[in-house]
This record gives sequence, structure tokens and C-alpha cells, in this order.
Amino acid sequence: MTTLINQNPIIYEASANNSTREWREDEDLEDSVDLIDAQEIFDLIRSISDPEHPLSLEQLNVTQRDHIQVSDENNSVLVEFTPTIPHCSMATLIGLCIRVRLLRCLPARFKVDISVRKGTHQSEHAVNKQLNDKERVAAALENSHLLEVVNQCLATAT
Amino acid sequence: MPRLEQLAELTGHEDRVWCAQWHPTKPILATCSGDKTVRIWQSTNPQDPTKWQCTNVLEGGHKRTIRSVAWSPDGRQLATGSFDATTGIWERDEDENGDFECVATLEGHENETKSIAWSKSGALLATCSRDKSVWIWEVEEDNDFECLSVLQEHTQDVKMVAWHPNEELLASASYDDTIKIWRDDDDDWYCADTLHGHDSTVWAIDFDPSGERLVSASADQTLKIWRRYHPGNPEGIITPRRGEPVWKCVATVAGQHDRCIYSVSWSKVHGVVASAGADNTIRLFEATPSTAGAASSDVIASTNEPGTLFDVHLLISVQSAHGTNDINSVAWYPNEEHGDWLASGGDDGSVRIWRFLKD
Repeated sequence: MTTLINQNPIIYEASANNSTREWREDEDLEDSVDLIDAQEIFDLIRSISDPEHPLSLEQLNVTQRDHIQVSDENNSVLVEFTPTIPHCSMATLIGLCIRVRLLRCLPARFKVDISVRKGTHQSEHAVNKQLNDKERVAAALENSHLLEVVNQCLATAT
Repeated sequence: MPRLEQLAELTGHEDRVWCAQWHPTKPILATCSGDKTVRIWQSTNPQDPTKWQCTNVLEGGHKRTIRSVAWSPDGRQLATGSFDATTGIWERDEDENGDFECVATLEGHENETKSIAWSKSGALLATCSRDKSVWIWEVEEDNDFECLSVLQEHTQDVKMVAWHPNEELLASASYDDTIKIWRDDDDDWYCADTLHGHDSTVWAIDFDPSGERLVSASADQTLKIWRRYHPGNPEGIITPRRGEPVWKCVATVAGQHDRCIYSVSWSKVHGVVASAGADNTIRLFEATPSTAGAASSDVIASTNEPGTLFDVHLLISVQSAHGTNDINSVAWYPNEEHGDWLASGGDDGSVRIWRFLKD
């Protein structure tokens, strides 16, 4: 087996698996505007699997609700995530997983920015630049091998 | 008040539209998309610019997204650059409304081809890629293309290439935040200048009609206008390399687009600059000689660089031009006949044709 980048990650307790928010039936949403808030975004990404460990991004404290900013009115979402270690080579992949999850689940009107939380990765600027370059993201998603890895991480997302 | 009026919305692409390019002489538009096809749209009634139809769908030439399209200057050939790393050359059958056939495939780039451009004479083709290189191809007889040079001075993806409107001079824009100017000396291509100033990826570039100025669009949410100063220029700008002009940023348009700017087009007919990007907005700008003292509310940038006293005015801002979607491409019609037409393509998969009304 290959050596893990972070061999011994700290594990945090995940909140109850179902959302704290009351579940709204799809029928009710047909006519009303579906308001999106940070909790909703968090619920979409917390159960994504880490590419290395059989743990969720929430369990590794990679994603936190307080690190998500949403303006429904301005159609904007900013997700900041925290790699488990500052030299994590998986940071771009984790960010890509978050982006793909939101691409698939959020209404198209949203502009999503994803970035590493300030000061938590040694190549912060490079990772952020790549994650927010739509052309690179589009090309990455046409790479079947990479897409398979992303889909594996997203398989646990509920 | 200047206006931009939508003439037509063209639907058919099944994924985002990356690039729209006008035929050099006819009311024909080529567009390409993440759906791996190119669509050819033609005006069906010269008297009614709202009537368009899709006459051709170019399929099967590329295995992945087609990122850019470019007509040869004589309009006989269409080049396509794809994420599959190749460039396709397409030709229409003799018949005016005939099918397009892929007559050549240019291979060499290691990964995604991002942009392609034909030189003014049609003798050269430039391509660029995520592999950080720019390739110059010589167009030979019988659809043969010979690679003359592989230019590898950019340190990151090269996003776009654009030829000077009259000279064999090429500009390239990159993820490394710079623009490079390339010239040849007896078939030996070299980097003549590197333009620093943007704080993030430079997505697009276009020359003004004279070729003495260049506009660039960046992820740093600004547009920059660069001017060429020749050796011995009367303004006294130093040209450090013997015999070589220098390019200098003379104006920065900031505080307009509030997300990444993906495309910019400098009209060769009336000189108005169109820009668009991830803020869903098409903006039209004009650079006019500075009217010293006469404060004008729409002046959004000015320059006091030697010899270039001009103001940049915002003429029009069309929000939600493709609904809530990013706009990836804007292109002015290339000649007088319909110089007021602008085409745009967006993430909604639609292509739109607009008419610019100046009064």
C-alpha cells in the first residue's frame, strides 16, 4: 500500500446525519424561490469522503459551516476548506470534489468560489487559482480517471 | 443614449458555448461548445437581422470540448481547437451551403489546445495549450501544415493567441499573469516583450484597428490597455532592446466587472471595446482623446502616459445578458457591412446577436 500523506489525522465528531433543517418537500419548491443558506451548502458537502481516509470531510474538520458564506440574493457562494496538513497534496482534489458536488446540486444561478482557508496550505495561492479556473475544471472533468476518483469521493455524499 | 439591442437568440448547443467567431466577410457565425460540436449559423434574410438558422453542425472531429474556433482570413477554412489536444481544419464543399469536412488534424500539443489564430495573410496559424507552449504553423499547399516553431517561455497554461491586424506579430495571454509578444527574425521566432501588470490569469487579448494598442482581460477583474512605443519615439519612452519596440500599460479599467473577465473584442470598424465574463454582464467601452478639464461622469479610466492622453468611457452595461450565466465570448462583426453587430456565447448554451446603437 502506498504511504498516506497524512498518516494519522485528527477525527472530529460529525453531527447527526440528517440535516438540522426541516426537510422541505420538493413540491413546495416548484413555485417558490428555493432559498439557499450556509447550512444547506454544508449539508451538501459534509459527507463527501476524504480521498485518503474512509472518513468524511466533516469528520476531518476539512469543512465547517462557519467557513461557508452564502448570499442567496447575489447568487454567490464561498466555501473555504481546511486541508488536514499544510502540505496536503490532495487539497486540489478535495476542492474539486466540493466544486463538483455543488455544480451538480445547486441551481445554476449560483457562482461558487472555493478556496483553501487562509494560512492552512503552503501552496494556497496555486490551489485556489486552479480550483477557480473554470477552463481547468471543465478539462479535469473530461478526464475519465479523475472523474472516477471524484465520483468515488462523492458516492458517500447524501 | 447608446444601446445594445438583442437581435436574436440562437439555441441548439447542448453545453456551454466557449467561443463565437464571425466569418471574415459574410453574415455567418461559427460557435463551439462543451458538447464537442461546432455550429454554423447564417442570416436567412439580409433585410431582417433577427432571422437566423443553424446550417451546419460539425460533429465527430473532436473527442472532447471544442474550446475555440477561427476562420481563415479568406473564409474558406475553419480551425477548431479542442481539449483533446488537437487542432482541426475544416473546409466547406464548393457549394455555398455545403457540408464541412475535416481536411487536416494538427497534432503536437501535449494537452488541451486553448486557442488558435490565423495571421492576417493566412500564411501562418498559431495554437496554444495548457502545455505552456505556443506553436507557429506554416500553411502549405494541399492542407499541409508545418510547425515552424514551438515557443516555450510562458511558465503556465497559455489561454489565448491573437495576431496583430497587419503584421506578423503574435500576442499570447497566460495563466502566468503575463502577455508575451512574439516576432520572427528570418523564421526564427522569439519573445520580443513580456507584459507584466495583471494580478491573475490573462484570459483574452485583442488589438485595436491600428495594431498600436492591445487590450487584455483578466481574472483580476480588470481590463488593461497597452500601447506600443517604437525606438526613438517622440515621447522619450526607453526601448531597451535594440530596434525593438516596447509595450507599456497606459490605462487600467477597474471596478467595472466584478468577477473574472473571459473575453474582450476591440471593434476593427468603430473602435468600441466589448468585454464580458463571469458577472453575466456585457460592457462596451470607448477610448477617446482626453478632454482636459471637462469632467465627464462616465469616464472610468484615463491615462496621462506620454503621447496617449485619452479617457475610457463606459458606453453601455448590459446585465444578465445570458441570464444568470457566465459569458465566455464576445465578438464584433469584422467589417463595415454589419460593424454594429456583436455576437456572444455563454454558459447557458445560447448564442446571442446584438446590435449596437450609438445615439
